[in-house]
Amino acid sequence: MSKVYTWDQLFSRRQFLKGTVATAALGATAGIGLLEPEASMGLSNSPPQSPAKGVKYVTTICEQCVWRCGVIAKVENGVIKTLEGNPNHPNNLGKLCPRGNAGIEAMYSPDRIKFPLIRAGARGSGLWRKASWDEALSYTAEQMNKIKDKYGAKAMMFNSTDNLSQPFFESLLKAYGTPNYGTQRSLCFNSMTTGFLYTYGTPQPGTDYSHCKYMIFTGRNLAEGISNNETQEMIDMVARGVKVVVLDPRFSKTASKATEWLPVRPGADSAFFLAMINVIVAEKLYDKGFVEKYTQGFADLVTEVQEYTPEWAEKKCEISATTIQRIARDFAAAAPAAIAHPNWRTSNFVNSFQTERAIAVLNALVGNWAQPGGLIPDQEMSTAKLGVLSHPPFPLAQGIRLDGVPWKYPMVPLAYGVIQTMRDNILTGKPYEAKGWLISRQNPVLSIPERQKTINALMKLDFVVVIDIQASDTAYYADVILPESYYLERYDGLVPIKNKIFIRQPVIEPLYDTKSSLMIYKELAEKLGLGEFLPYKDELDLLSRQIKPFPVSLEKLKSDGHYEVENFKEDHSKDFEFQTSSGKIEISSSIMAQMNKKAVPTWNEPPRPEVDHYYLLTGKTAQHTQMFTQNNRWLLEVFPVNRAWLHTSVANKIGVKTEDDVVLESEVGKITIKAYVTEGIRPDCIFMVGGFGHVSKGLKSAYGLGASDSALHKTVTDPISGGSSLSETFVTVSKA
Amino acid sequence: MAIRMGFVIITSRCIDCDACMVACRAENDVPLGHTRNWVKSSGVLGQFPKVREVFQPGNCMHCDHPPCVSVCPTGASQKRADGIVIIENSKCIGCKYCIVACPYDARFANPETGKADKCTLCLHRLEQGLEPACVQTCLGKSRQAGDLNDPDSIVSKLIAKYPTRVLLKQVGTGPNIYYIDEPVSEIPEGK
Amino acid sequence: MELTWALMIVIYLFTAGLSAGSMITSNLAFLYGGKDFERVSRWGAYISPFPISLGLGVLLLDLGSPFNAYRLFMTLQVRSPMSYGSWAILLFTVLSVIYLYLWLPEKYQIIGHIKSSEKWKKRLAIFLPFLSVGVASYTGLLLNAAVSPLWKAPLLPVLFLVSALSTGLALVILIATLSPWQRARHKELHILTKADAGLIIVECLIIIIMIAMGRLSSASEAMAFGSLLYGHYAWIFWFLIVGLGLLIPFSLELMELKDKIPVKWALSFTISSSFLVLFGGFFVRYIITYAGQTNGWF
Repeated sequence: MSKVYTWDQLFSRRQFLKGTVATAALGATAGIGLLEPEASMGLSNSPPQSPAKGVKYVTTICEQCVWRCGVIAKVENGVIKTLEGNPNHPNNLGKLCPRGNAGIEAMYSPDRIKFPLIRAGARGSGLWRKASWDEALSYTAEQMNKIKDKYGAKAMMFNSTDNLSQPFFESLLKAYGTPNYGTQRSLCFNSMTTGFLYTYGTPQPGTDYSHCKYMIFTGRNLAEGISNNETQEMIDMVARGVKVVVLDPRFSKTASKATEWLPVRPGADSAFFLAMINVIVAEKLYDKGFVEKYTQGFADLVTEVQEYTPEWAEKKCEISATTIQRIARDFAAAAPAAIAHPNWRTSNFVNSFQTERAIAVLNALVGNWAQPGGLIPDQEMSTAKLGVLSHPPFPLAQGIRLDGVPWKYPMVPLAYGVIQTMRDNILTGKPYEAKGWLISRQNPVLSIPERQKTINALMKLDFVVVIDIQASDTAYYADVILPESYYLERYDGLVPIKNKIFIRQPVIEPLYDTKSSLMIYKELAEKLGLGEFLPYKDELDLLSRQIKPFPVSLEKLKSDGHYEVENFKEDHSKDFEFQTSSGKIEISSSIMAQMNKKAVPTWNEPPRPEVDHYYLLTGKTAQHTQMFTQNNRWLLEVFPVNRAWLHTSVANKIGVKTEDDVVLESEVGKITIKAYVTEGIRPDCIFMVGGFGHVSKGLKSAYGLGASDSALHKTVTDPISGGSSLSETFVTVSKA
Repeated sequence: MAIRMGFVIITSRCIDCDACMVACRAENDVPLGHTRNWVKSSGVLGQFPKVREVFQPGNCMHCDHPPCVSVCPTGASQKRADGIVIIENSKCIGCKYCIVACPYDARFANPETGKADKCTLCLHRLEQGLEPACVQTCLGKSRQAGDLNDPDSIVSKLIAKYPTRVLLKQVGTGPNIYYIDEPVSEIPEGK
Repeated sequence: MELTWALMIVIYLFTAGLSAGSMITSNLAFLYGGKDFERVSRWGAYISPFPISLGLGVLLLDLGSPFNAYRLFMTLQVRSPMSYGSWAILLFTVLSVIYLYLWLPEKYQIIGHIKSSEKWKKRLAIFLPFLSVGVASYTGLLLNAAVSPLWKAPLLPVLFLVSALSTGLALVILIATLSPWQRARHKELHILTKADAGLIIVECLIIIIMIAMGRLSSASEAMAFGSLLYGHYAWIFWFLIVGLGLLIPFSLELMELKDKIPVKWALSFTISSSFLVLFGGFFVRYIITYAGQTNGWF
């Protein structure tokens, strides 16, 4: 057996200097000798040459978040110098956000996992031994097959988060035969997607910012939750003088750009929208023709919203009745170029599904569907179709799902799942014991509420294998870490966006002994005896088959970075064919009716914090992506740590100033965090950016920085959408 | 007329995402702990719920009368004919006089080179016909750079159309970043 | 807060003033004091090359590229005080070494005895005060040029000059008092103390005028000077500079001058007052250097 190392020995800290070839080589060769790169990497100790010599540009796709922006990488003598937005890419129009610009840092970070690792001490002890790919994959397959033989395929859980090779991950899990698939969806925007799905038959309609004249955001913070092209469109929209209303208990940067900020009470945004509907219905401001032709259940709505007057709503959401009236009238007047944005997540309460339904219905009432400045129907129809690989039919998954879909959550789509319930059922062992977990590019330890429970769940399992580029908090508790190549070192599946097909391709050869997830999945499948389900030789073989329907060579695609399908016609023939059971926009949802639930949007009273308790709000910052980028030192330069936003009155009450430590305590946990005292938050709320407070010692820059909301969040699940109602956690605050 | 390079920064279009800072770090190998450009926030002003917050990006102002250039004892700090203020590294002794002389705090001592360091307006990119990295990446098109003396440049067109202000006018440095606070619905075409 | 120019620069500014001040003391004592003040002149000459050499050494250490320092002497940038200041200091240091050499007892003049040494001494003593004034006020001009609200004060070179004279003189008094041989006599010290007390008065006046002018200028300048009076630097200003550096030594000197001090304490009084003057002079440079950087324009 080979030698056992600690994290620190394996990946000793070195001064990181991007940009000189010498340091890239140093980063790879110093230390204990394990880290020596292949000679073929072309790294040498020569100083950087003049820019003109040895410079090349490679077009690829960013992976600093899930938005998939186009990137042009500049390579000088084998070292990636800069990343720039690809002007031909519709997702970012030539621009990159801070995270996209910082993509190089993590690539040359000394914290990269540089070869496969097998745990050599207790789980979470940080003791590892180096393994070859063959050994690591064989060991993994052996453990997975053991679990399958002994407990059935269902005892193995497969988790992955939105990424370009996700379809192939899904092939792997379907081939293996488990029903247990965990995504991040239930932690994100299940209430929005289900709310719109059960209204329009499409989970995520687009929004036409460029022609919109009136926009209401309620949980879409485009200035801090950057979705590159949409953020650009939002800025343009504001600059055009469009009326932008932001409902947010916190004064976000989007709110600072908006024409009007309404500090709504958490959980009561639902009342605001119901009252808007009340006004629009009562004053007959809706689009009668549209409502008659394309919707069902309007009469029921009229009855339901009668009591939801602006005066009633004012008491709930603490936005004045006159303001609600004014906004309802102005919104209707601007229609159909008016949008109540579907958002990502609204208040994030159990009633958020109803909020999203109210928003969906409000849009329908003003008839903005497929209109300039309104909601845009699903674009799936108008997207180029890639070539597919033929494989034998997947075996039928045996057994019910651990996450309660659909037996506990009948309305949650299978593809979304309810990850927090999956975690809970690992612990309860009901309806059956889970034994193994394969996690690709996901960090449940920091993403699911009640962090300690997630760690306990990991500790309970027989076998945990993680695929990642860095030692995430979850990888730190794994038995095997399979190191994925960085996104600038690998291929992934092709990405069609409307009439264009984009490629992610290696900008440079992998620096270390890592593989693309396409190859990890495939080779693992082979070791499991399931190779026929991922029937490609290598990445290039796969990509050439995906591009086969189009008259373009892979070489051309690689050098151009994208292929534009000729004579492509957008298909709008089905814009008004709603994929609901009635074929109409369901103001009154047939599925809800079937479930014996109120079929039209309705009010559910949200819980309120007790005396001396505060709503705990979490959200994003423009400089980091969820719990993925806090170890990136370039991003730490612009956003070094998360802090707890306290209203001045709260800070005065407990006697703290900005930068003082405060203790936040919820029913499930306690954290210490620095305070940020501000007038930009409701006095009954405390806000913190998520993603900090890492527990993995393998993330040497991020370890111990700030605090994690996952240590505070209670596990509350909306039984309809399966969404994790993060904001139903209330905390106390005190001076540390 | 001679070329006079400078910036126009539209504060109303800045969302404080700091992409400009990261892009500059990558482009110019700026060491950790230092930066050549910045986005400053006013903080949340006013009282809940009547609050506002404004963001002000900045970097070297490439002044008409740069104190950093006049104080330099070796002639390392220079103002080029095109208005760009640069440092000739081989002449710099690292005395940091220029750093303390800059009223905008636009310079820093680079611990890796032992020299003063600052925004070069991405001279190396301009020479290749590219925009400075911070301008190129700016999501809000808040940052614009160009020849202030050329009436056909984007910056001149913006200055002609909107009211502008400069920072610390009273110090007499003649800064060449013109700030526009009003909404700018469309960035004009230009050089 | 980490400052660009920190303690190293304070030491440099302080030592340049010390050397210039003790040089002037020596020169004037030599020119006008004659035989009676020979010891003072000698001590001044012996002291003056050393503080500035220390300061230059420290300055060199503070440079980011010390091996590039020769670049200073490959050009003369007329608009840069540091450029002409460097030339002046170079010349001053060389001349102060020559001046010291000329003051050495003959047996130590190992390189060779200069026949007309007295004549050269005199010539140097006539020229060096001008150069010394230049060196002492240059440190103020250096900060003047870096247009910070505090450093912009036009009286800064004058303040530094007076402080240089005062501290240089105090250093000569201190060394002359402490030296085991050729200890200065009461009469010489009396004159020197008188001069020092006078300088303290002038210094106080300059500080008052400077602050008054600053407070009446722009908001940025008013704020910068305010930070001395009641802000972040107030305790250094009031306690270390005004109290320990100016008022107490002035009172001590006044008592010395009025012969109110018992003989057995005379020595410790002289030592204390001159030491405090040096102490205060150091913190004058410190506070100006630091507050000048922490108070920006707005």
